[in-house]
Amino acid sequence: MNRQLALLAFAVGALHRHLRRTVTLGAALAFTVAMVASALMLTDALRAEYAAVASTSPDLTVQRLVAGRPALIDVTVATKVREIPGVVSVRPRVWGYYFIPSLQGNLTVVGVDPRRSDVRRDLGRIVRGRGMRAGGRGEMVLGDALATFLGTQIGDEIGLPGEGGRPVFLTTVGFFEAQSALWTADALVTSEADARRLLRVPDGHATDLAVRLSTPDEASVVTRKVSELLPDARIIERRLLARTYELTFSERGGLLLAALLPALAAMLVLAWDRMTGLGAAERREIGILKSLGWSTADLLAAKVWEATLLGVLATVLGVGAAYVYVFLAEAPGLSDVLLGWSSFYPPLDLRPTVTGTQVLTIVSASVVPFVALSVVPAWRAASADPDSALRGT
Amino acid sequence: MTAVGDAEVAIELRSATKRYRDGEREHVVVREVSLRIERGRWVVVRGPSGSGKTTLLGLMGGLVRPTSGDVWLAGKSIVHLRDHHLAAHRRASVGMVMQDLGLLPGLSVVDNALLPLVPTGGARSEHLARVAELTARFGIADKRDVRVERMSGGERQRAALVRALVLDPPVVLLDEPSAHLDAERTAELVRLLGELRAGGKAVVVATHDERVAGAEGVDRVVTLKDGTTEAARAPGEGKE
Repeated sequence: MNRQLALLAFAVGALHRHLRRTVTLGAALAFTVAMVASALMLTDALRAEYAAVASTSPDLTVQRLVAGRPALIDVTVATKVREIPGVVSVRPRVWGYYFIPSLQGNLTVVGVDPRRSDVRRDLGRIVRGRGMRAGGRGEMVLGDALATFLGTQIGDEIGLPGEGGRPVFLTTVGFFEAQSALWTADALVTSEADARRLLRVPDGHATDLAVRLSTPDEASVVTRKVSELLPDARIIERRLLARTYELTFSERGGLLLAALLPALAAMLVLAWDRMTGLGAAERREIGILKSLGWSTADLLAAKVWEATLLGVLATVLGVGAAYVYVFLAEAPGLSDVLLGWSSFYPPLDLRPTVTGTQVLTIVSASVVPFVALSVVPAWRAASADPDSALRGT
Repeated sequence: MTAVGDAEVAIELRSATKRYRDGEREHVVVREVSLRIERGRWVVVRGPSGSGKTTLLGLMGGLVRPTSGDVWLAGKSIVHLRDHHLAAHRRASVGMVMQDLGLLPGLSVVDNALLPLVPTGGARSEHLARVAELTARFGIADKRDVRVERMSGGERQRAALVRALVLDPPVVLLDEPSAHLDAERTAELVRLLGELRAGGKAVVVATHDERVAGAEGVDRVVTLKDGTTEAARAPGEGKE
């Protein structure tokens, strides 16, 4: 114990004595760690957000496909689906993407029934402004990014082209809170009637059916029965949706990390070069210490401490920088890669978390190779006769 | 004559040879050297540059392993010792002053002097007292906390001696210790080496310097040529 403490103290002194090398290597390692940590943190945070949303989705979403494309579904089907054992409720939904040529962007129009108290309650939780009245006709709540893009304020009325080009006038009554921005950035929530006019969805039809089950275990059975009932239906199970999100972010995160591998490799090459390139002075120091009665194991232990201290310091700095970049600065540049969004990028308000797995991954990917690379040349120098140390060359 | 293994024999080399391989070529730096040095003796190793003096010191101090032959240090054969045992034996038995002193820049005299103690868990109070005693004895007590690169050549020389003696080893090896010293400092060094000899230590000095090689108190002069010893002679005997 005392030996390790003494070697640790020597390693601290060595880092201080070789300050330029310490700063160069530390900065390079911290930068690499920051890049890898940013990718991991952002991927994990987005994955968690999407998983949270998936958990609130309907157990089953029933859509209708015609020639492989989504088509409107007859709401009378809802009654038939409701009769399938295991189904608790079926709700026809009206929503869809609405292209505004002047904005060159799609927004998501969602129709809700503001007469329902649960809808008003849910909206009230995430809306800034007065929210929709029970009547709700002619009113809308906008996502932050969309509102910023349109330049609308509460009370503003805008006209959007509806059926036959006739404008549908809607008054802004609220904006979604930033916490929900990932889901509401490009959303326009209005009454179901206004949504039908904007999306040209006739009465008696819906975009899809949201199905709640008595237990999620019934999903595959109910899915099979709905398929028999509606041969042209596409049925999306919630757990499959969650799995899709998981795979999407794993794939994107993996691609991003793969793209960062060259940076990591470059850093490790730099570390190798610095550690071996400094050979003359370092070999000399090793020779001196050996002549003073240090064993190869002592020298290696000191080197491991030195590299570990530098690695830990750089990791703390790198992870700290990544935390600030992802959770405070909203990951400019990186978020576009991971989100793959289209027109209205949401401000990210992610739940800040740093997990043990992330730290372990970072340490495995950067610190461990760094320590190994620094120890190998030291081991080679320490194993050889310290002849140059004796000669002062 | 004391037997090998007896602590009175500080160093014994038996047909020690050291070869280095450089690609296809092989250099024999020390060839079949046999030598015995008792405690309380001062031996000078002389020879032209490249004759193998430094490597011979390395063999004596257990820093260089012989390619063949045997080396005994402070009563123990060190050729087949495992690395950590050899390091511990070397730490306890040998104090070394290298050609360029081997002080670590950025460290003070005290920190340099305590370097041999790091692998043992650091300095204890008796070691600190020993450093204080030695720095006072060598006249650098007021420089104890000064970084060595800020000291004069003579002061650094003494700092290196403090470090070599901090664990009170029975063997002291010095490689060209007067290389950068003026006449006054060299005389001081010679006096100090005489004190070490008188204190029962085996002192081995590799040097070109006649002021050291011919000093009073030198028991033997060993001349190296092409890696091997010529007949040892007592100081004052005719040149070989």
